[in-house]
Amino acid sequence: MKYQLVSGFETHVELATATKIFCGCTTKFGGAPNTHCCPVCTGQPGALPVLNKKVVEYAIRAGLALHCTINTVTHLDRKNYCYPDLPKAYQISQFDKPLCEHGYVELESGKRIRILRIHIEEDAGKLVHERGTSYIDYNRGGVPLIEIVSEPDISSPEEAREYVEKLQLTMRYVGVSDCKMQEGSMRCDVNISLKERNSDQLGTRTEIKNMNSISHIEKAMEYEAKRQAEILDDGGEVVQATMRFDENTGETYVMRTKEDAQDYRYFPEPDLLEVVIPQKKVDEIAATLPELPLEKYNRYTKVLGINPANARLLYKYKAVCDFFESCLALGAGVKNTANLILGTVYSTLNTEEEKELFDIKVSPENMAELVKLADGGKINITLAQMTLAKMLESGKPLTEYIREEDLAGISDGDLEELCRQAIAANPKAVEDYKNGKEKAISGLYGYIKRATQGKADIRKADAIIKNLLK
Amino acid sequence: MSVTEKQLKSFARLARLDFPDSELEAFKGEFEEMIAFCDSINSSVQGDAASIREVGSRRIEWEDLREDVVQQSLPEEKILSNVNGENGYFTVKRVVK
Repeated sequence: MKYQLVSGFETHVELATATKIFCGCTTKFGGAPNTHCCPVCTGQPGALPVLNKKVVEYAIRAGLALHCTINTVTHLDRKNYCYPDLPKAYQISQFDKPLCEHGYVELESGKRIRILRIHIEEDAGKLVHERGTSYIDYNRGGVPLIEIVSEPDISSPEEAREYVEKLQLTMRYVGVSDCKMQEGSMRCDVNISLKERNSDQLGTRTEIKNMNSISHIEKAMEYEAKRQAEILDDGGEVVQATMRFDENTGETYVMRTKEDAQDYRYFPEPDLLEVVIPQKKVDEIAATLPELPLEKYNRYTKVLGINPANARLLYKYKAVCDFFESCLALGAGVKNTANLILGTVYSTLNTEEEKELFDIKVSPENMAELVKLADGGKINITLAQMTLAKMLESGKPLTEYIREEDLAGISDGDLEELCRQAIAANPKAVEDYKNGKEKAISGLYGYIKRATQGKADIRKADAIIKNLLK
Repeated sequence: MSVTEKQLKSFARLARLDFPDSELEAFKGEFEEMIAFCDSINSSVQGDAASIREVGSRRIEWEDLREDVVQQSLPEEKILSNVNGENGYFTVKRVVK
């Protein structure tokens, strides 16, 4: 393709506070229409907003996690527009003094997508249109949002996917949002333009509004880039426009063009005072930030020696990481713990949501006990997998399946005795082995596995048998 | 400050006011008077906008921000008591085509 894709994102993330940004109504998702409402969030005359401290705290947390600087003196502004999803005819947002500025999201390649700004604002209500009427539910109105605005540093749908995934993961790691795109707690506006390769001249951009799935974002970007390329190839001009993506047809269509662009007439919100944030508070929040996703990925691959593919499958889910690391802290080995989670545990968790929740019936303590048996060679990995599968199913502790005496029963002496029996019982295999067929020895393993119900350490038995047959 | 017809139409659109052309001419004079009034306020205030903000603004300290504690919302019938509503929803004339 002779053009280079240039894309910037505006991402809205709902903050996981208990109450709305300017009133004490609950932010709970759903509920009967207009039951999470009060005079403030329905814009009744005379009602005054009061800023929620947690909103500022969470937004700072998000900003610090994305390497932003924090403006310790900030204020809110009115963004005026007339549409019934906002009862006041304006949205309280931030214009010239956003809370956070100039951060970045680092991709695995090392490329940084710069963040221009992050500001706080209120969400709008939900509209349903039926016949001649629009029905409005203001439960979501006033729910706190941060809007994360990136620079136009994204140059492919794949980078866009990684950028959104990294944002999502970071917000979850620092605990400010669940970022459920399907429930609308994370949504993206995607700006797209094309420029000629080797040129600095940016093309006219279009904006695709309100994308709520990563795969739709990729499809919409591909479609829109192709559409713009065709216009340019025909010698035409791309018209600046706001677009929508139709999930059913996979196409973008124009919602409004530049001529209808809104004039929001921003001005400082007179109902709210300028906010002063003590630097001490910012430092306190910075000190409580957990290990961030990319740091964790690097530690898993470089320090723990997990291969990149497996590390990705683990660090994508915060709850999985917490469980994994609890097991390690209890003395379980990296390799067996990782393999048992990725193999046996993941096979019982079918969806992304299930992996995110990671609500399993085995505690880290029980898992660590099991892994330590495998680490120490007291049980082999197959038995560990089988036992874990049973524990996941029943929720019963390890001791239900493997008893002390079972393990104690196979002492080195007993194992040697078993090896002798195995040799005596398999003269053919022994002869084949002695004649140079290395693999024939596996017949003896089978005997030992059956005799001990899989509890013997086969590596040890192997050494003993080879020694006896010398 | 004199206002062009084009500006006037743009202001009317933003304010969601519908002026027939016949009224527009008469309103032009009134509107210019309003702007002149605002200008007289502007010229009587010393200094630039930033310093006005500085003088006029009061600040809220961190500890005075609202704690994140859920309060009782209003009963649905109260919320809807002064508006057009149906089945718990606010209703307006359909806003999309």
